[in-house]
Order: sequence, then C-alpha cells, then structure tokens
Amino acid sequence: MLKKVFQSIKRYQNSDVPFYNRSMIYLLKLKDIGEDRMKKIIALISCMFGLFVFINVYHEPQVNAAEKTYTIGTDVTFPPFVYADSNNNYVGIDMDLIRAIAKEEGFKAEIKPIGFNAAVQSLSSGQIDGVIAGMTITDERRQKFDFSTPYYKSGIVMAVAPKGNIKGLKDLKGKRVAVKTGTAGATYANSIKDRYGFRTVTFDDSDNVYNDVKNGNSAACFDDSAVLNYGVKTGLGLKVVTKPTDIGSYGFAVEKGKNKELMAKFNSGLKKLKANGQYNKIVEKYTGESATAAQKKASAKADSEGHTFIGLIKQNKSAILDGIFETIKLTVVSIICATIFGVLIGLLGVLPSKFARGASTTIIYIFRGLPLLVLALFIYNGVPSLTGSKVPAFVAGIITLTLNEGAYTAAFVKGGIDAVDSGQMEAARSLGLPFGRSMRKVILPQGIKIMIPSFINQFIITLKDTSILSIIGILELTQTGKIIIARNLEGFKIWTIIALIYLIIITVLTLLSKWVERRIND
Amino acid sequence: MKNLKVDVTDLKKNFGDNHVLKGIDFKVAQNEVVVLIGPSGSGKSTLLRCLNRLEDPTSGKVIIDGNDISDSKTNIDHARENIGMVFQHFNLFNNLTVGQNVELAPVELGKMSKEEAVKMAKELLDTVGLDDKYEAMPQSLSGGQKQRVAIARALAMNPDIMLFDEPTSALDPEMVGDVLEVMKDLAKKGMTMVVVTHEMGFAKEVADRVVFMADGKVMEEGSPEEVFDNPQNERTKTFLEKVINV
Ligand SMILES: Nc1ncnc2c1ncn2[C@@H]1O[C@H](COP(=O)(O)OP(=O)(O)OP(=O)(O)O)[C@@H](O)[C@H]1O
Ligand SMILES: [Mg+2]
Repeated sequence: MLKKVFQSIKRYQNSDVPFYNRSMIYLLKLKDIGEDRMKKIIALISCMFGLFVFINVYHEPQVNAAEKTYTIGTDVTFPPFVYADSNNNYVGIDMDLIRAIAKEEGFKAEIKPIGFNAAVQSLSSGQIDGVIAGMTITDERRQKFDFSTPYYKSGIVMAVAPKGNIKGLKDLKGKRVAVKTGTAGATYANSIKDRYGFRTVTFDDSDNVYNDVKNGNSAACFDDSAVLNYGVKTGLGLKVVTKPTDIGSYGFAVEKGKNKELMAKFNSGLKKLKANGQYNKIVEKYTGESATAAQKKASAKADSEGHTFIGLIKQNKSAILDGIFETIKLTVVSIICATIFGVLIGLLGVLPSKFARGASTTIIYIFRGLPLLVLALFIYNGVPSLTGSKVPAFVAGIITLTLNEGAYTAAFVKGGIDAVDSGQMEAARSLGLPFGRSMRKVILPQGIKIMIPSFINQFIITLKDTSILSIIGILELTQTGKIIIARNLEGFKIWTIIALIYLIIITVLTLLSKWVERRIND
Repeated sequence: MKNLKVDVTDLKKNFGDNHVLKGIDFKVAQNEVVVLIGPSGSGKSTLLRCLNRLEDPTSGKVIIDGNDISDSKTNIDHARENIGMVFQHFNLFNNLTVGQNVELAPVELGKMSKEEAVKMAKELLDTVGLDDKYEAMPQSLSGGQKQRVAIARALAMNPDIMLFDEPTSALDPEMVGDVLEVMKDLAKKGMTMVVVTHEMGFAKEVADRVVFMADGKVMEEGSPEEVFDNPQNERTKTFLEKVINV
C-alpha cells in the first residue's frame, strides 16, 4: 500500500507540469461541467495539492535516508566568507569549511543562501539546522544559540570613500554611517555612536552598505576586517582607515539545546581540518595574495566584457533562467491553489446560511488585510517556531500566496455572484430547482462572465507578488537579481533586465488569459 | 369552498418594523381565477411571494394543495414544482436560449428526458405563439415575447397553480394584449390562477373573484360585478375611481 503511494508520488513529481496544465484547462471549462464531474475534479485537485505539499515536506528525509542531511543557512554575500561565483555556486571560506567538514564527518549539508537576517530568524524558528555566515560570537547571541569552537578571528574596521576627508572616528561627528542589519559591525557602530556623535543607517545587504558610502550618502561603514580588507583588495572602491578592534571570533551556530550531534560533528571536523592543514589551505585560498589578485583580475575581465546588458545576461544566464523557472512555477501553482481556495470561499459567502457567510467574510477580511510580507514571514518563521516542524520555503510561499490571492479572488467571486440580478435566483427557485442547482446552472455562468476580467487581473498580481517571497529565501527572479547584484554591483542594469523579464512574462500571461476569455465567451 | 388549492389563515409578514401583511385570510378553490388588486405598497406582491415561500411568513398558515408551505419541515423545492410563478420583470435566464429556459427545470429535476423536454418546449412555445424563437437568446426578444416565454417556462413543470405578479406592467401597451390572451387561454383550460394586475378589463372578463387589499389587509372581495360595480368599502371606492379615471 505504502509503496504504491510512494510510486504514485514519484510519478506525480515527474509529471507535475502536465498536471498543472490539465487542471488549468479543467478550471476554465468549469462552466459546462456537470455536478459529478465537477466534484471529482475538485477532489482530484485537492488530492494533488495535498500530495504536492506532502512531497515537499517529506521528500528530503526519504531520499537521503543513508546520509543525514542538515540544512545550513548562510548569507547572500559576505566575501571572502560566503558569496556566489559567476556560475552562481556558493563559495568562500565558510562554504568550503562546511563542505569539507561534512565530507570529513559523513553528513550532507544543504546550503540555503537566504541572507544573514533571514538565516538567523530561520534558525530560531527551527526552519534550518545551523548557520555559518561569518557570525561573530557574542553574549547576546549565546542566549539563543549554541556556538562551535571559533573558526576565524576577526575585528571591526571602518571603511570610507577614498577621496573623502574622513580619517578616523573623530571625523564622524554629525555624519551618517552605514551598517548591515544584525552584524557585529552594526553592534559596534551603535555602541560608539553617542561617543563620536554620528547616526547609523541600516541595510539588509552588504553591497547597499558599500554603495551608500561610495555615493556619499554615508560617510563611512563598519564591517568585519576580513571582509572589508578582501573587498578593498579586490577593487571594492573603499579604503580602510582604522585598525581592527578585537571583537572576537566567528562561530558556527545551532539553536540553543538542539542539534547537538551536528555541533559535535562540526567541532570534531574543524579540529581534523586544522590538524591536517586543510583549514589553512582554505583560508589561504580566499585571502592570500594570489587569491585576491585572481579575483581582481576576474572582476577586471568581467568589467571589460560584461558591462553591457548582453554581457550581463550571458554571464548570468543559468542563474536568471533558474530564477524565471522558479517564478513561473510559483505563479502557476499559486494561481491554481488560490483560484480553488478563492472560489470555494467566495461560494461560501453566497450560501443562505449566515454562519457560512460570516466565515467567508472573516477569512477574506483577515487574509486580505494582512500584508503579504507579514503573512509570508508568519507562515515560514512564525508557525514552525510554534509547532516545531519545518515548512519548506516553496510550500510556505505557495500557502502565503494561496491565502492572500485567494482572499482577493473570494471577494470578487462573491461580488460577481451578487452582481447577478436577484430575480434570476428567484425564478430558478420558483421552478423548484434547489439552491445549489440554481447556482450552478443559472447564477454561476452569468457571474463567471462578470468575474473574468478580475481573474486575469488577479493572475497578474499573483505573478508580481511572487517577488515578495524572496524574503523567505526562495530563489525566484527577484532574489536571483539581488544575488547577482551582490556579486557584481550592477544594480541599475540587472534590475532593468529583471523588470523586463517580468514584463515579458506578464505579457504572455495576459495574452493567454485573453485567449481563454474569448473561448469562454463564445 | 371545497377542494381548496390555496388556504391562507391569519398570515402576517413583517420586514423589521414594517408590518406589511397584518393577518390575511385568503382562499382559492380549484380552477378558480382570483385577481388581487390594491394600491401600491398594500402587500400584494408580498402575499403572492408568501404562497411559494419566496418570502418567509412571520406568522400564520399557508397551505397549498394540502401542503403546509409555512412549515419549515416541508420540502419547499418539491412544493414549488407545483406552483408556477410569473414575474413583472420576466427573469428569463440570460445565459440560456429560449428553449433551454423552458427545458431546464423539467430535465434537471428528472421529470423528463432531454428529448421529451425539447418536444414539450416546442409545443409550449407554439401555444404562446413563439415557436420560431426556440433558438433565440432572451436578450433578443421584446418584453411581450419575454413574458410569454416566462409563462411557457412556468408551465413546463406542469403546475396546478399559477401565480402572476403584474405580468403586464413592464410592457409597452401594444404588447399587453398578447400576454393577456395567453393568460385567458390558460384560465379557460381550468388553471387555478392568482393574478396581481392593474388590468381591470382582464379582471372583469376572466376573474371568478376579485380581492381588494389595502394596508396589509383584505378590505373587500367578491365577484367582479360586486366589487367593480357596487363596491362596499370606502377604500375600494377611492381606489377604483383613481384607476378607472386614469
Ligand atoms: N424585501 C423587502 N424588504 C423590506 N421591505 C419590503 C421588502 N419587500 C417589500 N417590502 C415592503 O413591503 C411593503 C409592501 O410591498 P409589496 O411589494 O408587497 O407591495 P405591492 O402591493 O406589491 O405594491 P406594488 O403595487 O407597488 O407592487 C412595501 O412597503 C415595501 O417597501
Ligand atoms: Mg408588487
């Protein structure tokens, strides 16, 4: 029995794209489908959805039964500790270390580059097992996390624009200083800002911090010495003006009291790497003269060939394609789920029962009222920290969009039905047709025509809203853009490319919807 | 009266604080044609709509063909199959053709097969003089044609009783005659009918009984001659003067 289930799951997994197509077509044909078939289709679609969630939740432990897999969160960009190379592979001291330790200790490390902030939050909520992201060990962090033995010693330095006249902390009086959210650099800056009389401004990504200094909005920035020194050497365009303050060391973190086995493995692996010289090799690889020279040369080469739009697209082709695919996948699955959810809730809202109508109104009120961003973070980080079970980011994203877009869908489904003249329902009922049959045969076909433009509109909004899911680390188009920019700092050009891609997908989606609309109206 | 088709006792209906029906007794015998008249807002439509529970009575009893319509345990859909209703604004199903409008209920409710329904629809449309409109959409019909389709649609369920709520009020004058003609035929065939109308000519010619309502009460009832030629109630007199002087 169980075996059969898993076989069919495999099959669904392999054929998921045709499945979306099929259910799309069913949905659009809804109006001339009989009662029984409609019930069957709804049942089928709900089963598929259930299976889909099931697969995503239970997929990993099943496949990797032999080797234990740990999910390790990390930053998007924090060179030389973690950054994406031009093939969008995550490299750096932290990445090489965790991979070498995993190999040494016989476990699998699944790297999730979701950004420092998101990584730390996901660790608290149990969404990921560990974080390695150049994280400084502090007393405050010790309250929530257990740290490994330190794997790197660092200090905070201050960097400024080369041409400015800021030479030290004393020159910062009345100025603005850029820092990155949640970093030791930010903590340090905040601890001395009253003494030196400056203000701080926080950004989520390092490149935004550096840009703010480069374009003169901020006078200086504070960050780890290894990071800034590496940046300066590889052509970041800033200069370091202070000596490193001794603020401690980097450690690998797990949630306090959890994942003891992983922590033990990390510590023992690190010890072995230090003993056999691999550790030094890794550090040398990223900070040694030859490494920084090579990186500088690489970025110079990228400079010469890659500042054009075509060059940028060529360099990042596979990353962008992956991002497009992920965005389309998110869009299609959430459109299907949100439409089903929305239609059901909308129909609930026109039933004669006061209770049903109240439930519908409440659901619409809640999920239309919650900002999408809050809902996404709540489902991805909030719910798991309460229940203790992980929700994969993709599933959390689908649930978020289903609830939010579904609430809007429900509202216009309800509105569309209410817009049908009430005499139509009275006439149908006066003939002895029951409520449900009157709804399906008379009211819905007229209501759907009213709703079609809203459906098309909602599909487009859903597509756009997938970009918000970058916040929970889904590598869709927007997140892909962020990561590429983190590497090459080509903000204007990359965002232009990303924006154009969105417009193209939206155009295709609109044309498709119009075509379907015409077919329904015939 | 024997063989009561409609038996309403002490029917009251409130819309919030608005007491629209204030204790109505209303009986209709088999094959009888009753015309309901009265000033606007007197509760004629409300009474009619209580007869097939499009409105829920606040209190009182509504018994149709021995079925207690006012009892919430009664299967109202089943009871309605036997009570045809024609509305002032036709309410033809806009998403269906004329033929489908007529066929929908009998087929959906398992009264007949699709083929039988098509045959019946064509016959019914023929009797209301619209056999050539079988394939047409309601939007393409004139008001008078729509109302005749609506009558055919109600007849398709083969009801014992027909309720008409101002079936000609929304029509251009030259269309009124066609619809009244169809209703007269129906009356001649022995259909039990309750008709709310301002067509006094129709009432005089066809009605077995005329009921005058005002302020949610039945003020006066009797044969057309009694009510029209010799009204007893003051309210009836003033109402008739106004209507006839128009
Ligand atoms: N659904 C409703 N909700 C609230 N009040 C209503 C409703 N339906 C009717 N009424 C009120 O009940 C009263 C009687 O209405 P009804 O339609 O029965 O009158 P009528 O005799 O049919 O008048 P007319 O000749 O204008 O059609 C009116 O005051 C009307 O405002
Ligand atoms: Mg009325």
